[in-house]
Amino acid sequence: MEIRFADCSVRYGDTVALQPLDLTLTERRIGVIGLNGSGKTTFVRAINGLVKPSRGRVTVNGLDTVEDGPAVLSKVGFIFQNPQNQLILPIVADDIALGLKSRGLATSAVAARVEAVLARFDIAHLARRRVHALSGGETQLVAMASVLVTEPDILILDEPTNQLDLKNRKRVIDTLAGLPEAAIVVSHDLSLIESFERVLLFHEGRLIADGAPVDVVRAYEAVALC
Amino acid sequence: MLKSLHVEGSTPLHKLSVRIKLAGLFVASLAIFFTKSPLLLGGAAALAALVFASVGMAPRDAASRLAWPLVSIALVALATGIFETPLAGLATFLRFATLILLAAAVTASSETGDVMEEVTVLMRPFERLGLVNAADIGLALGLVLRFVPDIALRYESLRESHAARGLPVRPLRMLAPMIILTLKDADMIAMAIDARGLRRQ
Repeated sequence: MEIRFADCSVRYGDTVALQPLDLTLTERRIGVIGLNGSGKTTFVRAINGLVKPSRGRVTVNGLDTVEDGPAVLSKVGFIFQNPQNQLILPIVADDIALGLKSRGLATSAVAARVEAVLARFDIAHLARRRVHALSGGETQLVAMASVLVTEPDILILDEPTNQLDLKNRKRVIDTLAGLPEAAIVVSHDLSLIESFERVLLFHEGRLIADGAPVDVVRAYEAVALC
Repeated sequence: MLKSLHVEGSTPLHKLSVRIKLAGLFVASLAIFFTKSPLLLGGAAALAALVFASVGMAPRDAASRLAWPLVSIALVALATGIFETPLAGLATFLRFATLILLAAAVTASSETGDVMEEVTVLMRPFERLGLVNAADIGLALGLVLRFVPDIALRYESLRESHAARGLPVRPLRMLAPMIILTLKDADMIAMAIDARGLRRQ
């Protein structure tokens, strides 16, 4: 995996959400931290093309997020802060199948891949459950399954443990640890990213620290508590 | 509180294919405009009520999903009765009540995914003519069926937060925050759909 930001900045009107950034990411586990409104979400949304750069470019494995938008979307899966909003169909298995059907896969192939992803996340018992009836942790796992069933290379998770109780938080963290895919995790939950290979700290739209978790968390505490 | 428009069950209507149900709804919606007879329209409305009742919905759920549509058509019927004739008003009410009851029965007895697939198939000929994108229409309909109950949940949550602050619950006062929150959610849902690659680019 290689994600490259080349002189990339993002503006919303007069507000600069992401200051010009040159960066290359190749690690399997990357954490993104920072205060609210620091540019974390804009940064990760720029990776899969949900946010377009106002200047510069972002590439994922050589694909430009603007010019090769659909190809990038198929390489980068994204799980939002409120995963309930990304579950479109009311039945878990139907929702997981939706992404495959929209890619034109045959019915038998869709069924096989849905079954495999449910087994992989140990949530086969949820297949016929209604998405409204899922707990927070189950919703997060189903959202992961619905994204990973399309086999992206990279998974982005925005606050995956937000509002989860201790039990569900552990379940999501354990699942995340076992994922073979590369993962970029935005989080305020510092213990979640302590075992990651690389952590980025954003502040006021600027990348101000980049390195090992222990060093970056120290820098974060200095910024947040000053 | 309403969480899904679909009602689980194994009634004859649940077992009927979505295609037949949609075709039936289409035929009924045409047929009721061929008569003005209050007797025939009343019979149609009564039959539609029986079809709706056969879905097996709890009375409270049934009331919550039918109340506002019926109030709305009652207002339309009242206006028709005043500006045309009382009989025309009655016919308007009975026609739309029939449609609402039948449509609610179809929605309640059909899985969203099945409705989406069927609508997509129905739209294919128009897609071949270059008029529409069939999959997007199916998806749009699915989104409406999936997220309309969320608006009801949002209203409930706003009502509770008003009550918690000791503020009188006035529907009109809640309209602005409801619209803003719904639009914000719609934005997020649209983004999620793009992120999952569900919409044709």
